[in-house]
Amino acid sequence: MAKKNMRGADEVSGDVDMSPMIDCCFLLLIFFVVNATAITVAKDANIKMPSAVSSSDLKDAKGCIVVNIFNDPDKMSDEKTRKAFLEAYPKPNVWWSSGEENGGYSPDETDALTEYVSKQKEQMLARNLEEKQIRIYLRGDVNAPWARTAGAIKCAAAAGVVNIVFGTLPTK
Amino acid sequence: MARHKKIRTEEQDDPAMDISSMIDCCFLLLIYFLVATTLVSEKKLDIVIPGGKSSSSTPSPLEPGSITVKNDGSIYWNSDLKVGEAFDTTAAVGTAAFTAQRHLDELVGSLKLLKDQATAVNETPIVMMSGGSKTPHQRIVDVMAALAEAGITTVGLNTSTEE
Repeated sequence: MAKKNMRGADEVSGDVDMSPMIDCCFLLLIFFVVNATAITVAKDANIKMPSAVSSSDLKDAKGCIVVNIFNDPDKMSDEKTRKAFLEAYPKPNVWWSSGEENGGYSPDETDALTEYVSKQKEQMLARNLEEKQIRIYLRGDVNAPWARTAGAIKCAAAAGVVNIVFGTLPTK
Repeated sequence: MARHKKIRTEEQDDPAMDISSMIDCCFLLLIYFLVATTLVSEKKLDIVIPGGKSSSSTPSPLEPGSITVKNDGSIYWNSDLKVGEAFDTTAAVGTAAFTAQRHLDELVGSLKLLKDQATAVNETPIVMMSGGSKTPHQRIVDVMAALAEAGITTVGLNTSTEE
């Protein structure tokens, strides 16, 4: 009888308490989930990002006004990308889009783009962001012509945003 | 006595739930987010337009450097020295040819020289950049990367495009 008891005690001590490990694991999981979403800007999958040899990390996405600059759909090499782009932006001749879903802007809609940037700037200033923190974040396609980038910069300058950030992918 | 004991031990075993699958799942998600946060991150190159700040009344003793990027992607320093070849669209990302094209060592050298001259007289180096209307964006980013490498952040962008 006593022997039986001993065996029972042994079996109990063999179990490892997993709950602290699970706690820890969840904590890390939540940390990475939050991290993955916080320091980022709205990304448009229709853009093939350019590469740069020396670039720095985007430490803070606050104050970034995103403007996507597209290539002509008929110059897109990949058929799938072109289809996806035309589905996302059915309007003809879309040059730019903001991070929000708005159907994009055509070259004759520079006033609308300027208005969007100045509205974003006002909202950011209302949220107590400093003027120097407000930047225009240009996500240009690799083959997008300079005229479009220049147009977007002009609109930003007209709205009073002089800090420009070029979005890139790192390369060696 | 014996029968009673058996039933009791079975009852004690039952409430223990098998959580190993949940831990597996949790680890999988953890590793996914770990990888996602470090690898898929866009980088940045930031510049400031010089006209945005109030400029001093005395003109700078230094001539601003000028970079011209033509429609084919070739790059010129002070409009006569060719520092970058035409944009080669055939080079795939990750190949040696692609990497070699991203490095504009000659331009970086000229920019560093300009920066040294400017720091010698306590001035901010200013560079003007103009591009052709059809210049691919990648070439503009290459120039921006060269500027970042040389440590110049004040760049005038000529937005009236050349043909």
